[in-house]
Amino acid sequence: MNTSEIKKLIISSLNANADTVEISGKLEEVGVTYNFSHNFGDKVLNKLFSAGLAINREVEFVKYMNFAFYRVALTGVAAIVVLLISIFLMQGSISLNSLLGLSDNYDESIVCLLTGN
Amino acid sequence: MIKESYNQTEEDELVKACLNGDKNAFGEIVNRYQKMVARTVKGMLGDTVFAEDIGQEVFINLYHSLSEFRGEAKLSTYIQKIAVNLTLNELKRKKRFFSLFSQKANNEMHEFEIADYDTQERNEAAEIVNKALMAMDPKFRIILTMRMLQGYSTKETAEILDLPLGTVLSRLSRAQEQLRNILAKL
Repeated sequence: MNTSEIKKLIISSLNANADTVEISGKLEEVGVTYNFSHNFGDKVLNKLFSAGLAINREVEFVKYMNFAFYRVALTGVAAIVVLLISIFLMQGSISLNSLLGLSDNYDESIVCLLTGN
Repeated sequence: MIKESYNQTEEDELVKACLNGDKNAFGEIVNRYQKMVARTVKGMLGDTVFAEDIGQEVFINLYHSLSEFRGEAKLSTYIQKIAVNLTLNELKRKKRFFSLFSQKANNEMHEFEIADYDTQERNEAAEIVNKALMAMDPKFRIILTMRMLQGYSTKETAEILDLPLGTVLSRLSRAQEQLRNILAKL
């Protein structure tokens, strides 16, 4: 097929009622072909499933982090509750002073400690 | 015969197998339709490394959206739509990139695309086709790709491009006019 025939064929593909299947077939016969690289399929599958693994790993990491956070948070809350109960039992209240371990005669104790009287 | 057509039942089974996690079934779909996707993507973007990347993206998108495929249209049409959308998005991205550096974005983009082809040894027919494609306005180029490379009818072209039939018909005649001018210079 010479150059002008190729050009005519290309132009005719844009006629509304052209036999486009025949035109595309003819062009393929004269070497108008398109291909991806020979291992294209493998590349797609590798990209797809290795990306899937990475996403799974990320999801698992987040899941384990959440689990660890809840365990630490629950243990912390339990420890705080036990501490408050023990302070209440020992001091008879849960005021700021009792939380800080300070008794009402704190000032006197300090004076005694500093002066030795 | 360019258009890929396979038994509908067989395709449905392949899709079902993919949805059940069968990697080989998806590999079969990739093998069947990679030439079709290559014609769309390389016809529109040129034979560049970007085209291969977009081709891969087409199948990755297909895999992730396979659960939405209801089987009302052919699988080839569904894949073709994904290929067209990704290719047009890539062209828009490319145009934006070039417009950052120049006012004559379109012209420079065309020069860049044509230069890509000049570096490759191709037969005469392929060279004419590719130079003509790259010199065309993208909205006409997609029509020419669907007709000349994929062998789609006017109705099928309208369906794949999600355009009214009348729009496709008017673009056909305007594209033909542009194509005549381009080919006269080649």
